[in-house]
This record gives sequence, C-alpha cells and structure tokens, in this order.
Amino acid sequence: MNKFAIIIFLFGFLIFASCKVDPKIIEPLPSDNLVEVVPLGWPQPIYSFSVNTISEDKFVLGRALFYDPILSEDSTISCGSCHQQFVAFAHADHNVSHGIYDRVGTRNSPGLFNLTWHPLFMHDGGVNHIEVQPLAPISNTLEMGANINPVIVKLQASSKYRNMFLKAFGTEVVSSQNMFRAMTQFMGLMYSYNSKFDLYKRRENNVELSDAELRGYNLFLTNCNTCHKEPLFSDFDFRSNGLAVNPLVNDIGREHITNSPQDKYKFKTPSLRNIAKTAPYMHDGRFNTLQQCLDHYANVKPNLINLDPLLLNNGLPLSSQDKQDIIAFLNTLTDYKFLADKRFADPNY
Amino acid sequence: MKIIIKFFAIALLISFVACKKDAKDPEPEPTPVTPAPTTGTLKLEFEHMVDTLPLDFVQSYVNANLDTFKISTLKYYISNVVLTKTDNSTFVEANSYHLVDVASPVSTILNIANVPVGSYKSLSFTLGVDSARNNSGAQTGDLDPAKGMFWTWTSGYIMFKLEGSSPQSGSTGKGLTYHIGGFGGVNKTQRNFNFNFASTTSNITGSNSPMIHLSVDLNEFFKNPTTINVATQFFQMSTGVNAKTYADNYADMISFEHVHN
Repeated sequence: MNKFAIIIFLFGFLIFASCKVDPKIIEPLPSDNLVEVVPLGWPQPIYSFSVNTISEDKFVLGRALFYDPILSEDSTISCGSCHQQFVAFAHADHNVSHGIYDRVGTRNSPGLFNLTWHPLFMHDGGVNHIEVQPLAPISNTLEMGANINPVIVKLQASSKYRNMFLKAFGTEVVSSQNMFRAMTQFMGLMYSYNSKFDLYKRRENNVELSDAELRGYNLFLTNCNTCHKEPLFSDFDFRSNGLAVNPLVNDIGREHITNSPQDKYKFKTPSLRNIAKTAPYMHDGRFNTLQQCLDHYANVKPNLINLDPLLLNNGLPLSSQDKQDIIAFLNTLTDYKFLADKRFADPNY
Repeated sequence: MKIIIKFFAIALLISFVACKKDAKDPEPEPTPVTPAPTTGTLKLEFEHMVDTLPLDFVQSYVNANLDTFKISTLKYYISNVVLTKTDNSTFVEANSYHLVDVASPVSTILNIANVPVGSYKSLSFTLGVDSARNNSGAQTGDLDPAKGMFWTWTSGYIMFKLEGSSPQSGSTGKGLTYHIGGFGGVNKTQRNFNFNFASTTSNITGSNSPMIHLSVDLNEFFKNPTTINVATQFFQMSTGVNAKTYADNYADMISFEHVHN
C-alpha cells in the first residue's frame, strides 16, 4: 500500500505541476504606506484617487518623471529643478522661475503639498485639474519649453521608462494620461500635516506653543484667517493684496484667465503651511522675508484696482510686536517630517 | 504490479483530463447559422468646402469681407452623436468624442459603431467638447492633450482651430490664427447641430454601410452674424466674448447633404 500511496502522490504532483498556474508574487508596499490621507478636522479633498488607484509602481514612476529633465525641451530642467523638497517644493533663492536656456519667468515657484485640496492651480488659477497641471510648466516657453509629443517620444524610446510604464500600467505604450496620472500620484500624495502647530492642535506628544506663538496664533485668527483659512491655510480664492504693480511685467493675474476686469491683479491665496521655508514670497517673489510681507500688509496703499476689501484702510493694524508674534506662529507651520520624507526625495541621489 | 499499472493508466488519464487544453477531438462543425445582426456601423462624412469650392490647403479663397485667404490647419471636435429612429427612439453613442482634422482624411469620416438596426430620421451632435470632459483631468483618445487641442495655460479644449494666411491680415506675418474655446458660461463655444433627413431615412441593416454626408462651409466661419475683417480680426487664442463671436459664426457652418444606404 505504501507504494500505491507514493505513486498516487507522485502522480498527483505531476498533475499539479503540469497544469501549473503561475503564482502571483505580491510585492509588499514600503513600510510607510502610500494611501490617501484626510487629516483630522480637514475637509474631504477635491481629487480622490478613485479613478487613479494608488500603487507603488505608479508613485515611483511619477517620482522618476518629476525629477527627470527629460520632460523639458532640451532635457535640462525637471519639475524638481524649481520645486525642491528641502524648501517644501518651492524654489530656494529664486524670485521667479528659471527655465531652459536660462530663461526667466514672471512668477514665483510655489511650494507643493496638500494639492488634492486645490480647486484650481497656478497663481492665476488657469489649470482646473491636478492631472493636467504638469502641462502648464512643461509647455511654458519660459520654463520647460516642451511640446508634450516629443516628450512622449523620448519616454517611449527609453527602456527604463517602458519598463516603469509596464509595471505601473500594464503597458509599455507611453500615453500622456498614464504619465499625468503617475505624476498625480507622486504629487497628490505629498501630504503635509505634521507641523508643530498640527501636533499642538491634535494634542499629540504634549506639544505646546510658546506665549509668543500663541499670541501670534490669536493675531492670525483675527487678521489672516479669512483668506489663509485653517486647516489648509488658504481659501484658494483670488485676491488683490495691494502689491504695487511691477510696470516691467504688468502681470494682470486672474484676469488673464477669466478676461474679467474684476479679476485684474488678483492671484491665488497661497497656503501658509511651511511658509518659513518657501521664501521668496508673493506671486513674483518680491519679498525675501516674512517681516517684509507683514510690513506690506500693515501698510497697504489704498489706490490699487480691485484691492481686496479686507485690506482697505491701509491694511492690517499690526504693531511691530504683533508682527514678531505672527512670525513666531508662522514658524510653527513648518512640517519637518514632510521636508525629510524620503519617499518624496530625488531617487537619483 | 497489475494494480500499479492500472493506477499508472488512471493517473495518466486524470492528468490529461485535468490539463486538457486544445487537445479535444474535432467535433462535427454545426451548420453555420449567422444570427441576424442587431447592430451596424454608420459613417458620417464631413466634406469641407469654401462656398462651392472644395477645401484644400493650396488654393486661395475669398470671404464675405472680400479678404483673400488660405487655410493651412483645420481641426475641430464632433461629440455626443445622437441618432433618432423613425419611432422616436434614440441611439446615443458612448464615449462620443471625435477629432476631425482635415490634414488626415481618415478623420473626416466618423465611424459610429454599434448602432441598432433600424430606420433613422435625424442626427444631432455638438461641435466642441462638453464641460464635463473639460474638467476631468487627463483624457485619452481624441481628447488626449497630445492632440494639440488642449490649452496648457488655461485648462480647456480648443473646440475649433483654423489657421492660415491672408494678404489682408493685420498680423506682421500675414497669418490667421483662430483657436476657439471656452466650455462654460455665456461665452461657451460648443454649438449643437440637429439634422432631419427630410423624406429619406438612414437604414441600418447590419450588412450595409450607410453614410450620411455633411457639408462644412468654412466661409460661414467668416460671416453671419458677424462679418470678420482679417485686418483686425486675425488672432484669437483665448476664451471670452470674442471667442463667442466666432462660435456664433460657425454655428451654421455644417449642413446636411444626403444619405447613402
């Protein structure tokens, strides 16, 4: 009987082996999971990943694209050139963008984080969806200066990218949709919600604000929170904040998109998260310090077209001590965990 | 030993049965009975004209303002195709977005597939792309931004693109550039077309290739209600009231010619 048992076993094995079904190897995600996050007390984001399901392969492809100058006309400028992680993905020491052939743009490179809550993108709100946002800097002649078609040809010619697209989307064929969706995974998962202020708000780790920081927070609630609204620290509306118009550029802002004179000189309210890191400030990077910004808001000239009603009467009534306290508070909005998160770092270094 | 051999045979049999792929015995083929088709394909052909002259990219034409012009690029979207049967039931094409590009003749004949068999009396579609697809992020197919019909700096599709030249153009390079877009509000630039086939019907049987001929007169772009003067109106690349002016002009640009069954 033992012989029978062995033979049956062997043949059973043979049957299974000859009909073998390839086992699916499921690779584990990195320890720090790539998942949608809605921090406590935040509204639901505008973009959800329901049609662009999150995977590590898509995220890794999006990151590779973000940091690859292949997306620019002459393969010299990447998204990461003007969006550096150590300054919350703004561009350190650059008032306006620096493009191919040393071309100089007209607007300041904003920080990138919590992008899935933004209803509109760019300082003038010209872009209406996170997935198509990369088209704007890629095709702007002063920035990356590229037509999307040659970019796709370059990606298609690269065995590295063919392989990455295959892993991420199941096809080696590079399409703009898959390219944009991968980039959306990388940028859309850049969540920043772990500043000192967030920990204080969530009562985590016994974090407390100092007296100056608390005074600053209260001044912020009185003077700033209408536009730089918690918890995202922006209402994402478009406003003229009273900056003198630079006659060399005469950037009309939102009017460029809407053709509406009521939108002349209006720009999107930036988030104040990580603001201590994202200098220079304003849509054209004219101010280098937070002190200069607050000095501006404390002394707004009333004669500008479409000046925001909240800034009439010469702006905000802030003493020099108030400004110091507000700056102390703004410094608590830096999310050092985000700035050092290796998932968002340039994979080439 | 006999038992072992039996087992061998049985196991071998099981292994074959378990793994059977295409090793089955040839069965007698049943007499082919083709079921009556329930759907067919309808072609919509867009013939491009300037008044009575067929459009090409070489010839010069004259518009209502008596400006001489040539056309070098003509692209536009046709979307949301709907066909109505004589019993008033409708067929709505799914994912109905077609880019007509005169430089690519194959794109000037739209294949509307999976149309239920029947007699159709009318056709409607939109020139342009609906608001929803302008707001939905990265698209594929004819809506792929790589088709050059999506503005990068102000999101939205260019519904209609006409480029060319005119000696009367006010532009220094004598160019004509009309990129017409804007997907919402009072200045939206999509225009709806609705054609009744008069006394004829388009009959889909599933075995024929019916075709509906439509004529596109580019001179209508330059007139009615607004006569375009290329000395001053030679460039349009943004949304707004000026874009609407051109859209109002092209709203009567397409007409129904005839049906082939």
